[in-house]
Amino acid sequence: MAEDTAEETHAPVAGDPRGRRRGQGELEAQVLAVLQRAPGPVTAGWVQERLDGDLAYTTVMTILSRLHAKDAVTRTRSGRSYLWQASSDAAGLAALRMRRVLDGEPDRDAVLASFVTALLPHDEELLRTLLDGACAPAPDPEG
Amino acid sequence: MGVFVFLPLVLPLTALPIARLTEQHLHPRGAARLLTAISIVMALCSAVCLALIGVVGTAQIPGNPLPDSWSDPEVRAALPYHESVGTAALLVLAAVLLALGRTLTRHLRIRARARRALGRALPASSDVALLPDPEPYAYALPGSPRSPGRVVVSTGMLAGLAEDERAALLAHERAHLTHRHHRHLLATQLAGCVNPFLRPLQRAVAYSAERWADEESAQAVGDRRVTARAVARAALASHRPPAAYAAFPAFAAPGPVPRRVAALLGPVPTARNWPPAHTPAGLAALVAALGTAASALSALNAAVALLLVLKAVTPL
Repeated sequence: MAEDTAEETHAPVAGDPRGRRRGQGELEAQVLAVLQRAPGPVTAGWVQERLDGDLAYTTVMTILSRLHAKDAVTRTRSGRSYLWQASSDAAGLAALRMRRVLDGEPDRDAVLASFVTALLPHDEELLRTLLDGACAPAPDPEG
Repeated sequence: MGVFVFLPLVLPLTALPIARLTEQHLHPRGAARLLTAISIVMALCSAVCLALIGVVGTAQIPGNPLPDSWSDPEVRAALPYHESVGTAALLVLAAVLLALGRTLTRHLRIRARARRALGRALPASSDVALLPDPEPYAYALPGSPRSPGRVVVSTGMLAGLAEDERAALLAHERAHLTHRHHRHLLATQLAGCVNPFLRPLQRAVAYSAERWADEESAQAVGDRRVTARAVARAALASHRPPAAYAAFPAFAAPGPVPRRVAALLGPVPTARNWPPAHTPAGLAALVAALGTAASALSALNAAVALLLVLKAVTPL
């Protein structure tokens, strides 16, 4: 039972009856919702039983590991397996939800004014030159 | 009248040179406001024109609900190739309405989703939502009647900036919220849906709004170089090599971000909206203003003329 190897194994989401391929963000949200309803720290198997659809155990583990990497869940070792718990950090959860919005909306920059827009190929070089100029000591205002 | 009825649809072609001139020579605040106003006027004229051409063009088709007098020879004389053109105009109008609806719902959906994502979990006392996320991003999330606007910024973004640069970033985003730049962006996007010739104005307004916020930020932190550094560092931090462009070295013109930084490192734009007429800048602005006024007036004129023709033949 080596759960740690489940990282990024991408087990196929088998048996989704609607044939609709669910996005990673959606699965993460579902797993997180189950964990938040849990009475306390629970095993991955407990989560798997309460998820809609027949998700493979390795898929659930992958999602849990990913959530753990994002600090959305915490885990404690219990014997040979882990017990999982939703992180109580409200800001962390908000960050996770916001990322799902940003990643899921390709046109977000047209709606939410972003601080910086994407750079064109030669922009990076140009910016570094400009930045060097901006970091140099300020020219004498008297001069 | 002849082909003049089509003028409102074609005149927005002048948007491109107008956008260029205005963007380069006006204070970003004036440029954003002027260009937004032009977009709205020209889009309205285009829409009215399409509707009138559609109505007049299809008025003689049997079974339509329009007054019989609208298919008078005199009215039809105002429209060349009335029948096919009229049908086409109605189809285009339907497409325009569809595009408007989609843009508007997408806009509202993204805003609502982002607001829901923040939720009530974060302290309402601050207008800044600091989200623990290694990915660098910063957004101004416009408010709604029930919730105030928020500045959404990730820890990944702040990590790459010095203390004074963070203040510049927050001031920039707050300027977006205070001056409701999202309304300018939405208005020009909708205008671009009505008439694709207005799309250059959309990009010009987006750029002017960023420049406007940059200037406000520079004023708030008291040093233009700090804001310039903040913009440059943030852009470099969130930069991923664009694979799509790699094959086209011809796109060598600097993008909006380096232009913003260069503008911040340059002189303060004059607070007056209008540069003196004897300078090249003033002359360019004057030409742009005259061109705009002429375009808007002709568009308005054509739309009103069509309306008057219809009104004249409608028995009351």
